[in-house]
Amino acid sequence: MSANESPTDPAAEQMVEQASATTPESPTEAPSDVSPDIAPTRKTRRRPEHKPPPADDPSPQEVSESKPESPKASNESAVLQGGWGYWGSWGKSLLSTATATVATVGQGISQVIEKAETTLGIPSPEELSAQAPQEENTDGGTAGAEGEAQDDTAMGGALGMLSSLSSVVQSTGKTVITGSLDALEFIGKKTMDVIAEGDPGFKKTKGLMIRPTTLSQVLREAKEREEQQTSEDLSSDVEKKAHYGMLFDEFQGLAHLEALESLSRESEIKVKSVLTSMSGGELAQLKADLEEVSEPFSLMEFEDDDDDTKEDSDGVEFAKELRDAMSRLQLSVTADKLTQARTNIHDRIADVKSATPVSTTEEDEKDEADEMAVPQHTPEDVHALAISSLAELTAKSIELFHKVAQVVLHNASGNAQISTGDQAKVLAQITIMLCKEISLLSKSFTCCLTTVGSNEKGEVLNPLITGVFLEASNSATYIQDAFQLLRTVLQLAHIQRTADFAQ
Amino acid sequence: MTTAPYNYSYIFKYIIIGDMGVGKSCLLHQFTEKKFMADCPHTIGVEFGTRIMEVSGQKVKLQIWDTAGQERFRAVTRSYYRGAAGALMVYDITRRSTYNHLSSWLTDARNLTNPNTVIILIGNKADLEAQRDVTYEEAKQFAEENGLLFLEASAKTGENVEDAFLEAAKKIYQNIQDGSLDLNAAESGVQHKPSAPQGGRLGNDAPSQKEGCSC
Repeated sequence: MSANESPTDPAAEQMVEQASATTPESPTEAPSDVSPDIAPTRKTRRRPEHKPPPADDPSPQEVSESKPESPKASNESAVLQGGWGYWGSWGKSLLSTATATVATVGQGISQVIEKAETTLGIPSPEELSAQAPQEENTDGGTAGAEGEAQDDTAMGGALGMLSSLSSVVQSTGKTVITGSLDALEFIGKKTMDVIAEGDPGFKKTKGLMIRPTTLSQVLREAKEREEQQTSEDLSSDVEKKAHYGMLFDEFQGLAHLEALESLSRESEIKVKSVLTSMSGGELAQLKADLEEVSEPFSLMEFEDDDDDTKEDSDGVEFAKELRDAMSRLQLSVTADKLTQARTNIHDRIADVKSATPVSTTEEDEKDEADEMAVPQHTPEDVHALAISSLAELTAKSIELFHKVAQVVLHNASGNAQISTGDQAKVLAQITIMLCKEISLLSKSFTCCLTTVGSNEKGEVLNPLITGVFLEASNSATYIQDAFQLLRTVLQLAHIQRTADFAQ
Repeated sequence: MTTAPYNYSYIFKYIIIGDMGVGKSCLLHQFTEKKFMADCPHTIGVEFGTRIMEVSGQKVKLQIWDTAGQERFRAVTRSYYRGAAGALMVYDITRRSTYNHLSSWLTDARNLTNPNTVIILIGNKADLEAQRDVTYEEAKQFAEENGLLFLEASAKTGENVEDAFLEAAKKIYQNIQDGSLDLNAAESGVQHKPSAPQGGRLGNDAPSQKEGCSC
């Protein structure tokens, strides 16, 4: 496809020319004796001087070229009832020049059509125009009649030419329309691809579905892709701000996740080696214990239904709940960083909201005046803020789990009164809280987006809203996956504690 | 946010190790924030910092793992050595005990990283000359005997802090250039970004642009 993709018009022009050029060759329309005449016409069409776009130049040339033919043609029109086909041949040649000019104007479209055709293997313009003659036929009939009615002079020839021209316009129009529909379909498909390529969230989700390796690897790849895009694509400032993966890394989420993964992996190895060193009743007992520790990890229910309609936009309730849960863990780990991040995010949302006057119908004019005066938050700003906030909260959540893992491992012999299994239960609750918070946050951001972007078109606003929801759902997935990494860590902690207790 | 922070060719993973209270976190803070953190809390497990710096004409992102010095965290922090390209082994020039423990830290560093990991010995708190407990010469000798880079630095004044990170990075980059550090090895601690524009290789730009704007 790349060979045909030349951005200059000749390619498109030529394509359209070919489309009209083939038409006369259809058996019904083009008697064999006419063909020799067509051939040269086609040749002239392909002359290099026709390729440059100038509108005025080629057409008069073409007309003047065809003028000597017109008397001959008018003579023949008496003989040939359907003689329009002949007219058509050079009428089209004129048209082809016209379309060539048009093609220059609508270059983009032609290229899209061309692209669509080459990519999707839809019928070529030649095939399409081969279907057209049926319609041309009827048109041609009237053209011929008209020609006769207006006498068989050059005048009639000219008219015939015009009508045949219109018929070709129709057929070409049809090509364009059919082409356009296919092009639209193509664009749709292509857009999906572009979305898939350009949207890290989509890719990430896909990556997670396939699960090639570890979560941090998936996220790192996403981040690297974004970085690559960003370094290449200097033009789009908006995109730059809202790359989840890059932001997640900037908040050190990736580093904490990697560290947590390595702790989890090593814990698993140690747990396994302990299990292999045991036998009999001891082994059965330990297995049962470890099963108990694992249980909260499989019984998770992450239904974020809106059963709780409580308003907690300022995150105070969330902070309190989280603090309570953390204290129940008895690990001397605080979630201060996370709650602080949550508070900051709330403040930022409040800023956006206060800067956005709630527009009512009466105040519309006043609002517009305000908008002129005060720089408003654009939907893109809010979107960037939302993505960044989600990345931050997710990074902080993973950092929290990482801290928990570290402290659980070194503090195993500590003074915690709570069993490892109960710690696992509390951590499961915390995970649910975090995911709910993410969901809540995405809702207030999309709410914000709709307010801020109330004057924007749907096609501007919708992708932004979808983007926020997508990254929110990804965030929740990362948090849940990070939580799962704690399973082996807690199992090892349990083993260590039992060993210490025995001593 | 500009594009500049993402324009780098390599990522080097660093770890900072050493006894509790020698100023590991302060060194990192000075390096990343260019500020001295007077009241630094104990690190739990590991903390992170990043900075992009130019190393031999290449933009390199340093991903620094600042480990806890407390002995009770030792078991946990050992998990973090893996895949480090550089290690900053820090002692406090005013406390001989922190110097005496170096062999233990060095053993961990050698055992838990790969043979190519560049280790730099840092004598921190160089501003406290009056309270000096470890001479420059003996530390220098220890470093030479063990094939370590060596610098005395001060997280408080910022003296040699930048150089400490840079010297290690230069050595790592040199190892890459002369082929002794295999980038494809799983735990080299270095990630190369071939896609990033690199100095002196203009040919890279054309294909990457094409990729960027296929629509």
